[in-house]
Amino acid sequence: MQASRARLFKEYKEVQREKVADPDIQLVCDDSNIFKWTALIKGPSETPYEGGVFQLAFSVPEQYPLQPPQVRFLTKIFHPNVHFKTGEICLDILKNAWSPAWTLQSVCRAIIALMAHPEPDSPLNCDSGNLLRSGDVRGFQSMAKMYTRLAAMPKKG
Amino acid sequence: MDSEDDMHDANDVESVDDGFYSGETAMDSDDGDAADYDFIDNDSDDSDDPISHRSQQNYTILNEDDIHLRQEDNIKKISSILSISNNAAAILLRHYNWSVSKVNDEWFANEEKVRRIVGLLEEPRALPSGKELTCGICFDVYPCDSMSSAACGHPFCVTCWQGYISTAINDGPGCLMLRCPDPSCSAAIGQDMIIALASHDDREKYERYFLRSFVEDNRKTKWCPAPGCDYAVDFIVGGGTFDVNCRCSYSFCWNCTEEAHRPVDCDTVSKWIRKNSAESENMNWILANSKPCPKCKRPIEKNQGCMHITCTPPCKFEFCWLCLGAWSDHGERTGGFYACNRYDAAKKEGAYDDTEKRREMAKNSLERYTHFYERWATNQSSRQKALADLQQMQNIHLEKLSDKQCQPESQLKFITEAWLQIVECRRVLKWTYAYGYYLPAHEHAKRQLFEYLQGEAESGLERLHQCAEKELSGYLNIDGPSKDFNEFRMKLAGLTSVTRNYFENLVRALENGLSDVDAHGGTSRTGGSRGLGAGSSKSRGGSSSSRNKGTAPTARSRNIDDSGHWSCEYCTFANAKSATVCQMCQQLRS
Ligand SMILES: [Zn+2]
Ligand SMILES: [Zn+2]
Ligand SMILES: [Zn+2]
Ligand SMILES: [Zn+2]
Ligand SMILES: [Zn+2]
Ligand SMILES: [Zn+2]
Ligand SMILES: [Zn+2]
Repeated sequence: MQASRARLFKEYKEVQREKVADPDIQLVCDDSNIFKWTALIKGPSETPYEGGVFQLAFSVPEQYPLQPPQVRFLTKIFHPNVHFKTGEICLDILKNAWSPAWTLQSVCRAIIALMAHPEPDSPLNCDSGNLLRSGDVRGFQSMAKMYTRLAAMPKKG
Repeated sequence: MDSEDDMHDANDVESVDDGFYSGETAMDSDDGDAADYDFIDNDSDDSDDPISHRSQQNYTILNEDDIHLRQEDNIKKISSILSISNNAAAILLRHYNWSVSKVNDEWFANEEKVRRIVGLLEEPRALPSGKELTCGICFDVYPCDSMSSAACGHPFCVTCWQGYISTAINDGPGCLMLRCPDPSCSAAIGQDMIIALASHDDREKYERYFLRSFVEDNRKTKWCPAPGCDYAVDFIVGGGTFDVNCRCSYSFCWNCTEEAHRPVDCDTVSKWIRKNSAESENMNWILANSKPCPKCKRPIEKNQGCMHITCTPPCKFEFCWLCLGAWSDHGERTGGFYACNRYDAAKKEGAYDDTEKRREMAKNSLERYTHFYERWATNQSSRQKALADLQQMQNIHLEKLSDKQCQPESQLKFITEAWLQIVECRRVLKWTYAYGYYLPAHEHAKRQLFEYLQGEAESGLERLHQCAEKELSGYLNIDGPSKDFNEFRMKLAGLTSVTRNYFENLVRALENGLSDVDAHGGTSRTGGSRGLGAGSSKSRGGSSSSRNKGTAPTARSRNIDDSGHWSCEYCTFANAKSATVCQMCQQLRS
């Protein structure tokens, strides 16, 4: 408990320092609970998520960093490896491939990489996975783009 | 002389030398065609161990120490061949599923590639230089000497290492392939580091996984599947059977790890098991341990292994557990001592309540399945019972018997052997019912031969079981030594050996797919024909007209003539009235 708190505090200070360094990621610690974080990440360019801003919720276990944090999308996203309803993410480093040397910041980076490179073979969102697997890239992209516009872009006017 | 009791005579056992039943004695018989009816390769050694006297053993049973030794041995071997540390050798062996030759081949084919895959660095790197270092997990800064690293030099503090290792160990056997915590690094973490840093409990867990891996990831070894058994088995595939007799006394099939199932093959076993679970609901009522007495309808519990049931007083009706027929009918009139292995016969005897219920309940196919399943399951529970009896015999009765009969316990070994044989026979018999279920219906000759052999097996085993169970109890519950105890010894030992031979022959015959059936051709059964024929035992008395003159085999054989069958001149096979050609040997009816 103390170890995880100390480690999170270090990450917190690092984030404060690096805020400008990575303009695509904005990590925010909950005001009253250092084990709850949120992040805003920018959709990577040249993907259907470009232009969108996606919110992630982190729940950090007491055994952190020996155990991985739990992360999910709060913003709706159409992606084969993200559950459309719950926002749950299927990503190996959040499960068996976790390493205690990862940080919340590096998890965000891994999620951005996942947005750019979906893994249609382990889908949490079957509709989206099937579109990609059947080779209908255009169909997938238009759906993903539509949801980006609907859910991840600031409302105009 | 043709009553069943005569057969219980010890001397008579010796004379029951029809080829199928006694193996080698048939060879010595002066009856001309005796050799023809003998089985192939009869083992003529009466070794002391009734179960494991089959072909040589192609496996080794290992206890925990043996496993340790072998594991250490393999590690040392690889370490010296490749000139690497024991740690590195263990990592390599684990990665290649403990195959020394595979490690060898891969390593010498492409050492660099192997090193990369398993995470063994050629040149270990030291910690980065500097007085203080930042731990890659807690991000705290420590003096250099309180940090450590794997061969890659990525520094982590001791507390973080301990947490990392402990988490991995408690996550399961994956801890055997632990890598450096740095995500960009795949350096393997050796056993020495884990052992040095893990807590006492975690170390024990780790060592357990390490040992288990040697058995479970190794293609040559498996744990004995018996619950609670800690022995492992090292098996050399190729030649011989898959049967393994563990030191815990459980026997299982190496290939499918189901209970030993000779003479049926693994596919049949898995088909049968699937079938059973699909039908299990229908079968529940059959499995019930009690049935109504066919005479007085009171529920009778089967508490002895043998199928001969006597209802409680005052009824005392004696009946057969399998077909619920009167025991007195189980003689020649029903076509043999034990006709109830025959599905058709059981159907004909359908006058019994239980059979009727069964008919109402089941369609034809289920009824057929029920027939085989019930007999399969009954033999299974008889086997369990026999195992329990064997234990009780060894733990309690032998000592008592030794006192009562003034016999040293060492001379009562024949009783244990008899019970071991019963247990083994029940197992074989059980699987013959799965065999029978899958034997194609249109193969009439095979079916008939099969049923005949199985019937003989049932009755032979019943005789042995009766003798070891009921007759023995007479000598247990007596005040002084019995004069005829030696006769009993001879009889039981004789029955054990005769039954053992019979069952070994039966297993071989079934494993060969009863192939000799088709080979009989049209000519008479002489020369090379190996006399698996159903006629074998009948023909002992039956080759001449003396069939019914009361030799022991005749008393046991099925005198089917009464029911309108005709018996073949050549092989004595009992054919249906309508048949003009013998179904067994294709000879014309004369
Ligand atoms: Zn540390
Ligand atoms: Zn490393
Ligand atoms: Zn065992
Ligand atoms: Zn098998
Ligand atoms: Zn009764
Ligand atoms: Zn019967
Ligand atoms: Zn014939």
